[in-house]
Amino acid sequence: MLPFLKIMLRNLVLGPSTDPFPFAPAKTHENFRGCAVHDPEKCILCGICRHVCAAGAIQIRASQDGSGMQYSLWHNSCVFCGMCAHYCPTGALTMSNNWHLAHTGAEMFSNCISNLIHFGECAQCGAKIQPRPQAIIDTLGVRSPDRFLLCPKCKRQSIGRNVAQPRSIHRQENL
Amino acid sequence: MSSTTYTLPIGPLHVALEEPMYFDIQVEGETVRSVELAAGHVHRGMEALAMQRNYFQNVTLVERVCSLCSNSHPATYCMAVENLSGLIVPERAMYLRVIADEVKRIASHLFNVGIMAHLTGFDSLFMHAMEVREIMQDAKEGVYGNRMNLGQCIIGGCRRDIDDSTAPFLLGQLELLKPQLDELYGVFERDPLIRTRTQGIGLLSFEEAKRHAVVGPVARASGVAYDLRRKAPYAAYADLDFKVQTDTKGDVHSRALLRLREAVQSVKIVEQCLRQLPGGPINTREVPVIPPGEAVARSEAPRGEVFYYLRSDGTDTPQRLKWRVPTYMNWEALQVMLASCQVADIALIVNSIDPCISCTER
Repeated sequence: MLPFLKIMLRNLVLGPSTDPFPFAPAKTHENFRGCAVHDPEKCILCGICRHVCAAGAIQIRASQDGSGMQYSLWHNSCVFCGMCAHYCPTGALTMSNNWHLAHTGAEMFSNCISNLIHFGECAQCGAKIQPRPQAIIDTLGVRSPDRFLLCPKCKRQSIGRNVAQPRSIHRQENL
Repeated sequence: MSSTTYTLPIGPLHVALEEPMYFDIQVEGETVRSVELAAGHVHRGMEALAMQRNYFQNVTLVERVCSLCSNSHPATYCMAVENLSGLIVPERAMYLRVIADEVKRIASHLFNVGIMAHLTGFDSLFMHAMEVREIMQDAKEGVYGNRMNLGQCIIGGCRRDIDDSTAPFLLGQLELLKPQLDELYGVFERDPLIRTRTQGIGLLSFEEAKRHAVVGPVARASGVAYDLRRKAPYAAYADLDFKVQTDTKGDVHSRALLRLREAVQSVKIVEQCLRQLPGGPINTREVPVIPPGEAVARSEAPRGEVFYYLRSDGTDTPQRLKWRVPTYMNWEALQVMLASCQVADIALIVNSIDPCISCTER
């Protein structure tokens, strides 16, 4: 016991090393991986979060009226691995450091993120396309802003026109 | 069976065991005569689960095989996938993986020696060892975001960088840990209670260690200097300077001391990594193409060598994923260690191989 006596006395003087939670807030690191937060303004419904989620906590289903997709993330199924946030290309999913997830049994199924994400509209023909929120246009659509807002069909036509025109001029010059 | 012997069942749920495992022990008086091990109480079918999930989901799944080596599993799994797809991991990610591995190793070894103190009945030392370990738990939470499942490894590198905000914090925690670790080593080395309870029991000779092909601290405490970080360096271990700890006594006490010495070495490795950390990306941004084929990978987990086998048929789910964990090798050697020991020492000897039942049965 003798080598330990010194340590024991020191620990006695230092007092308890636990946080006085719930009477005072518990120390939480800034980097702590807590409950997931979904920003519908940035979501483009690419579905990579659902693809990498080992727990199957994420569901993306068509809404009943067909205007968009219903995005759900169940906090009770989530294992807080943060893979979804890591692979999210637009930063719509993030992990907050909030770990206060205690709830009553009645709230078991409502304890989830549930967001309706509306489809975008093709700027030319009005067909439904992936959502094109402003935050995404500013980051991903900078190369050709006009074409970024088109449906795949109109996009093909637009690219076809662009390719056809300059080449024909080019050929004439050569002749 | 003579009237002087009887069968003593220990487990699957027993106060002295941390995880469910069943021992059928033939006892003569207070002395153990033979041991039968029965496993299978925490089988969760994880290898089958892995075959139903895609390569990304499996990173999270294998991380949850076991809590104490929860970085070794995804790191080795990712290494196997990278071997198969020919993905080159950036150099910075290699170092970050070593840091995560060593931080986990320190915490795992401190946990084991703490439990040993608890089993000798020295609970105040157990509490103190766990409190020293708390420094590392705090570091994990502050740097990676979780106390156990770091979530650091992904296919193609790492997820969380150690930058100007987290590096000083991690170094600060190591500075806090170092004197405490030395002090703890002194207590475990010299304390009369610990010594009388643990010295000379659970003996595993060099020959027996070789015969049972034990790995990790169990092998090294019996004089087998087998450390994968040195024998087959992976990640950044080839560039790092550390001493492989060995001992020749091969008893419970020497295994505990060896774990503490390894923890000291791990602190040095993390410090070296932070000093030498090269610049550049921390992961390959591309999503890998996984061709059909087979691959293996192995690494040194806190308990010894962990081995992953992966077979792919070219789809996004593995056709087969299998792993062999160190405890599988080590628990067979318990037959030797428990031979002729006292009933009261069973728990101590079992704990000295640092068994991870959930890894082994998965």
